[in-house]
Amino acid sequence: MKMRRVVSMLLAGVMALSLTACGGGAAAPAPAPEAPAAEEPAKEEAAAPAEEPAEEAPAAEASAEPISLNMWCIATESDSNRHSYEAAIADMQAAHPEVTFTWEAFENESYKPKIKAAVAADDLPDIFFTWSCAFLGDFVAAGKVKCLDDVYQNYKDELPEVMLGNSTYDGKHYGVPLTMNIVGLFANMDLLKEAGYDEIPGTYDDFIKCCDDLKAKGITPFGCAGKETWCVTEYLESIIEKSIGAEELNNVFVNGATWNNEGIAKAVDTFQEMIKKEYFDPAGIGLTNDEVKANFMAGKYAFYMNGTWNCADFAANDDFKDKVKVAEFPVIDSSKSKLGQLIGGPSDTLAVSASSPNADRAAEYAMELGKLICHYGYLDGCGLPAWTPYGDTSAVNPLTQAVSEICANADTYVLFGDTAMSAEDAQVYLDYVAQVYGSAIDGAGFIEGLAGDLR
Amino acid sequence: MADNNSNQNAANKKIKNAGFRKGLDIFLFLLPAILLFVGILIAPIAVSLYRSFQKWDGFQPGVFIGIKNYRDLFFSGSVHFVPALKNALIIAFFSVFVQLPFSLLLALLLGRKYKGERFFLTVYFMPVLISTVVIGQLWLKIYNPDYGILNRVLGAVGLSNWQHIWVGDPKTALGAVVVPTIWQYIGYHMLLMYAGVKGVSSDLREAAMLDGATNWQVDRYVVIPVIKPIIRTSVIFAVTGSLKSYDLVRIITNAGPTHKTEVPSTLLEDMLFLRNKYGMGSTISVMLIILCFAFALAITAIFKEKGE
Repeated sequence: MKMRRVVSMLLAGVMALSLTACGGGAAAPAPAPEAPAAEEPAKEEAAAPAEEPAEEAPAAEASAEPISLNMWCIATESDSNRHSYEAAIADMQAAHPEVTFTWEAFENESYKPKIKAAVAADDLPDIFFTWSCAFLGDFVAAGKVKCLDDVYQNYKDELPEVMLGNSTYDGKHYGVPLTMNIVGLFANMDLLKEAGYDEIPGTYDDFIKCCDDLKAKGITPFGCAGKETWCVTEYLESIIEKSIGAEELNNVFVNGATWNNEGIAKAVDTFQEMIKKEYFDPAGIGLTNDEVKANFMAGKYAFYMNGTWNCADFAANDDFKDKVKVAEFPVIDSSKSKLGQLIGGPSDTLAVSASSPNADRAAEYAMELGKLICHYGYLDGCGLPAWTPYGDTSAVNPLTQAVSEICANADTYVLFGDTAMSAEDAQVYLDYVAQVYGSAIDGAGFIEGLAGDLR
Repeated sequence: MADNNSNQNAANKKIKNAGFRKGLDIFLFLLPAILLFVGILIAPIAVSLYRSFQKWDGFQPGVFIGIKNYRDLFFSGSVHFVPALKNALIIAFFSVFVQLPFSLLLALLLGRKYKGERFFLTVYFMPVLISTVVIGQLWLKIYNPDYGILNRVLGAVGLSNWQHIWVGDPKTALGAVVVPTIWQYIGYHMLLMYAGVKGVSSDLREAAMLDGATNWQVDRYVVIPVIKPIIRTSVIFAVTGSLKSYDLVRIITNAGPTHKTEVPSTLLEDMLFLRNKYGMGSTISVMLIILCFAFALAITAIFKEKGE
C-alpha cells in the first residue's frame, strides 16, 4: 500500500513537472490544468497497478506477417539499464515470434553523434532510444519521427498522458517514455559515520560543516567526472536550483529568460568555492563517470551526485548496497528555493522512425517494449516508472524506494539543462560549465558568456 | 596523284581511328577508377564546399549565408577553431622536430646491420600495429593520477612535486596527448626511412668509408641526402597527420579540459553531431583539406629549394 501511495504521489509530482519542463522550448507539454493526474481520483486511478502482466497486454491487432525490426539504444553492458532491456526484449521475442528483432547498444556519448548522423542520412533504425524535449524535438521538426497518437490510444490507461509532456510537440506525441530520473545526492554512510554523521545533513550549513569534517578526517567529500561535462551539470544545476529556485532556472533553460542573472553567478561562485576548498577530488577533472562512480563505490568519496538510474548498480553491489543512502541536495537560499525542487524528469524515450517500412507495427512494438523496459527498469531500480506499475513491486530496492519518497514530496522538476536546450545551445552551455569546473571562469564570466552567446 | 592523296587520306583516317580507339580503350579502362575517385573523393569535397556556404542543421533545408561560416571560423569566440588549429600545429611541430629525427636515428642505426636488427625493427614498429584505442587506454592508465605508473615513479624517486593530474590539468593536457602521438608513429616513419636506408647502394657507403668517413659521416653526407625524398614524404605525412589528429585526443582528453586539447577534427565532430551545425562542420572540413594541401605543397617546395 505504501508503494501505491508513493507512486500516486510521484505521478502528482510529475504533473508539476509539466508546469516547468520544456515550457517554451520546442517541446509543448500537455498543459497542467488538463493533466489527468492533477485531480485526486485520477491519482488513485494512476496508482492502481495494472491487472494484466505485460506479456498479455493488448497486442493491438498486430499482423502476424513476419517482419524484421531493429533498434538502437544506449543500454551497453556497463549500463544500469542493460538487464531491463534484455529482459524486456526476451519477453517481446517470446510474445511476438513473428518479429525478428535485432538491437544494438552504443555508449552514451558516442550515441549522440551516431543517432544525429543517422537522422541526417535518413538511415534511422525502426526504433531508437532518444532523450526527450529539445533532443527529440530536432528530429520531429525534421519530420523523421513517427507520430504515436494513434497507437497511444491503446495504451492510455497504462501510460498517463502527463508522462508524455516532454515528447509532445504541437500537441502530438512522438515518444514512448521509459523511466524518469532525478539527480540524487548519494552518500557513503560508512564514511559519513567516520566523520560523526549518521544521516545525510538536511540543511546547507550542516552539509558544509559535514564536508569540512570529512576533509578533516582525510576523506574527499565529492567526486565529479570532468571528462564528461554532463556529470558537472548534475552538481551545478542542483546548486543553482537550490539557490535561485526551480521556476527561475527553468525560465532560463527553456523560456528565454536571460542568463545574465546575479543569482546564477552567485550559485556558480558557491560551486567554485567548494572546489577551492578541495571538497572535490582534483583528479576528477581527468576522469570519466565510470571511473568516478567506481571510486565512489570503492569508498574514495563520501558523496556522489548523479542520476538516480545509479540506484540499480548500487543496489546490485552486495558490498556497497548497505552503505549507500540517497537524499536531495539541501536548500541554499530558502527565500527562493525549497526542498522538493528537483533536477530531472522523464527523459529516456523510445521513438519510431517515420521512414521505417513497418512503421505502424514498429510503433506498436515500441509501446509494448517501452512498457516492459519501464517495468523491469523499475524493479531493477534504474528509475521511477513512467508507466503505471503492475505486478509485485515489493522487491524494488530500498534506494529506489527512497527516491520514490523524494519524488513523492517533490514540488517542481526542472529537466536536465542539456536535454531541455536545443543541441547548439546545450553544447555552448556545456562548454561554459566545463570552464567553471576547470576554474577558467567565475560566476560573472559564466553568466556574461552565456548571455552573450545564447541570447 | 589523286590516288596517292586518297590513299594518304585513308591512311590518316585509319591512324586517327586507331588513335581514337586507343584513347577510348584507355578511357574505358580508367573509367571505374575515375568513377571511384570522383564518387568517393571529389564529390564529397564538392558537397562539403557547397554546404560550407550554408547554415544547415543536417535535418532541414540549408540556407545560403555566403562566407559567414568562414568568418565565424576565425573570429567567433564560440567556435574555437583558431585554438584548435594552434594545438594541431603544436602536435605537428613535435612530430616533425622530435618524432622524425628520432625515427631517422633509429632507421640509421638499424641500417648498420647490428645484431638483432629484425628484433628491434619489430619492437619499434609494434605500436603502429596496436589499435589506437588500445594505445589511448594504455596511456590513460599510465597517466592515472591515483594508480598510474607515471605518478608512482615520480613519487618513488622523490619527485612528488612533479606529480600531476596529467590529462585534467590545462597546462599538461596537450603534452599528455603529444607524447603518445609521437610514440605511436615513430615506428611507422622509422620503417619508411629504414626502407630508404637499406636501398642506399653499398658501393656508395664503401667508397665513403675508403675515403676515411666515419659511420656518422657516411649517414650525414651519403645516406641522408639519398633518402631525402623519403624524409620529405615522412614530413608531409607527419604534418598532415597532425592536422587531422583525432583518435588519441578523443580517447585521452576528450578535447578537454575546457578545449585545451581541441583539434580541428574533434571540433568538426562536435559541430556536426553535437551542435547540429553541419554548415560550420563542412567549413572546418574544407579548411582542413585546404590546409593539408597547402602544407604538402609548402613542404615539397622547401625540400626542392634545399635540394637545388
